[in-house]
Amino acid sequence: MTDVLARRTLRQTAEPAAIDAVHEELDGLWDDASFVPELDRMTFATAVIEAASNVVQHAVPETATPVELGVDISATSVRLEALVSAFGAACPDPLDGDAPMPDGEAESGRGLALIRALVTTVTFKRQDGTNTWTLSKSPLHD
Amino acid sequence: MDLSYKVNDSYAEISAAGRLNMVSAPKLREMVAEVVAAGSARIVLNLEETAFMDSSGLGALIGCLKAARQAGGDLRIAAVQPQVQMVLGLTSMDKVLTSYPSAAEAFGND
Repeated sequence: MTDVLARRTLRQTAEPAAIDAVHEELDGLWDDASFVPELDRMTFATAVIEAASNVVQHAVPETATPVELGVDISATSVRLEALVSAFGAACPDPLDGDAPMPDGEAESGRGLALIRALVTTVTFKRQDGTNTWTLSKSPLHD
Repeated sequence: MDLSYKVNDSYAEISAAGRLNMVSAPKLREMVAEVVAAGSARIVLNLEETAFMDSSGLGALIGCLKAARQAGGDLRIAAVQPQVQMVLGLTSMDKVLTSYPSAAEAFGND
């Protein structure tokens, strides 16, 4: 397995301020992974922010404890990967994996379709009260 | 995100600096509503310093476009940066929101 060359993680209450923190972790990742081309940074960062925003906007607490957002982003020489987690969240409604991009009048509903357009794979796992989306992008461009 | 606006002879120009995301999108909607209420429905959104936009920000742009058109005007975007252009393209919204090289050119011919 290819070595992880850069990694950043955060875990904090899933509230809007957490999105700025995710941006900062992404900037930090690129500081340590300067080999990642600009286009890959742009697409991957956009997908990660979309997924994190989805947790902040839509995750429902399973108990009285607020949901926490977790982000674990890493880079190898050939692959970018993000684990975006909702800790303490109820199981979400089933996602329509093939949901099309809404038409021009719609003001919402583009997040998942956008993520799918930006990364190579998207997977979802529910385990121990945590919902985790894994986004990966590979191979990196020259 | 820092938002500011100025009213010219034929249009109002709103400048948005920073990230247009779920945090700042409601602020942009409020500012456009304020500008429209003040009587300027021809609006240019200057995105020269908008380095990032997500689907929440895009939703706000569409809402603002509708608000301007309902008031008899239009909303046009200018100086779009690469990440914002990418999001517009992937969602096919570049066909709905025409972008112009600069704010001055957005209403240049009408």
